[in-house]
Amino acid sequence: MSFSYFKGKTAVKNISFQLKINEVTAVTGPNGSGKTTLGKLIIGILKPDNGRILIDGIDNNKMTLGQIGSRIGYLFQNPDCQIFATKVIEELAFILKFKGSKEEEIKKSISEVLELFDLADLQNSYTFNLSQGEKQRLAIGAIMMGRPQYLILDEPTYGLDMERKAKLVRILQNLALNGTGMMVISHDRAFIDLIAARKIKMSEGEIIEENC
Amino acid sequence: MTFPVEIKNLHFTYSESKKNILNGVELQINKGEILTIVGLSGCGKSTLCYCICGIIPHVFEGDMQGEVLIYGNSTKSMRLPAISTNVGIVFQDPDTQLFSPAVEDEIAFGPENLCVERNEIGERISKNLELVAMEKNRYANPENISGGEKQLIALASTLSLNPQIIIFDEVMSQIDDAGKLRIKKAIRDLKAAEKTIIMIEHDIENLDLTDRVMLLKEGRLTGFRGSFQ
Repeated sequence: MSFSYFKGKTAVKNISFQLKINEVTAVTGPNGSGKTTLGKLIIGILKPDNGRILIDGIDNNKMTLGQIGSRIGYLFQNPDCQIFATKVIEELAFILKFKGSKEEEIKKSISEVLELFDLADLQNSYTFNLSQGEKQRLAIGAIMMGRPQYLILDEPTYGLDMERKAKLVRILQNLALNGTGMMVISHDRAFIDLIAARKIKMSEGEIIEENC
Repeated sequence: MTFPVEIKNLHFTYSESKKNILNGVELQINKGEILTIVGLSGCGKSTLCYCICGIIPHVFEGDMQGEVLIYGNSTKSMRLPAISTNVGIVFQDPDTQLFSPAVEDEIAFGPENLCVERNEIGERISKNLELVAMEKNRYANPENISGGEKQLIALASTLSLNPQIIIFDEVMSQIDDAGKLRIKKAIRDLKAAEKTIIMIEHDIENLDLTDRVMLLKEGRLTGFRGSFQ
């Protein structure tokens, strides 16, 4: 698979690889090496110039963003690109309301996620008043609400303090133990070492090393 | 004695909120000192930065009590351009900072508005792009570069103003290892040039630079003893 944003600069070059359920894969590499572009290609926000991306064997070009999103939860590098609801509780409720879940189930899931991400005191806050770290926790929590089989997390520790980072590690480790696969894009070596068994390193749009 | 930054009994509440986010902050920072402020996310670290660089009270609305003094002058009575001449800030989210169609325009914007001489602006662009190793992106649109690269361009833009006091709000969170080393070297060089530096950090690995670490908790600053609780 290859992709260029515009002529003359290829962001992703001839990449072939597989991501498995039950596996946590970290994607590392210098700034501008194509890590975020790779994530956006997998979830269908960007379309490859050459090659194909198969999700459960289906070409993602033939899937709607909704179909991809129901299988893969995607955390944007910047939570402001993701959060759109006016209040914290509305942001969390959105995915289950969209899926047509029952009111009781939605309330129960919201309550669990609020507790898990220390957001209970902020549930009625306006999302634009949150700090960067609070937005990041909300964005991850909103993804968890949909219970996707696979997660692509772009810089999940961005804006998180040490204690919230340690808590996120425990949450992701539990998800992995229960069969949720993940691709984690990060520069945080300590975080990667704690959660990822497989590591891929990118440079200038190519995978240059595996299990580095 | 006049400090580059002195904060006296600072309280602040955002206009939409009932809760004091800052609740009696006292702080004196010496010339050439690197101070790091840590604390749980949402505890008010970025709000404190906004108070020091004058965004509060000049842009964000709310109830501000107490004083922030920059070289002895209260930010309440200073105009924002006068504060900006002394205090530079690199925001946590570079997307809130970058707005020009080209990287070099972005870096030139600050010095142009301070009426810096044309050749000097060119030199500052080259010097600061080299500092963050982003020379290859000089003519790129900031919209077309990665998040980490945006952070480096935001840093170069702030440094091009040549401020005496620089606030780095979690600037290394999206930066690769080589970039972190470059930023750390830049911060050490700034300290050697007697600049006053305030860092907001979550990564304990980046605390090796600092002279003093303070914890912001329940709206007040205290000494940091290794835990946020």
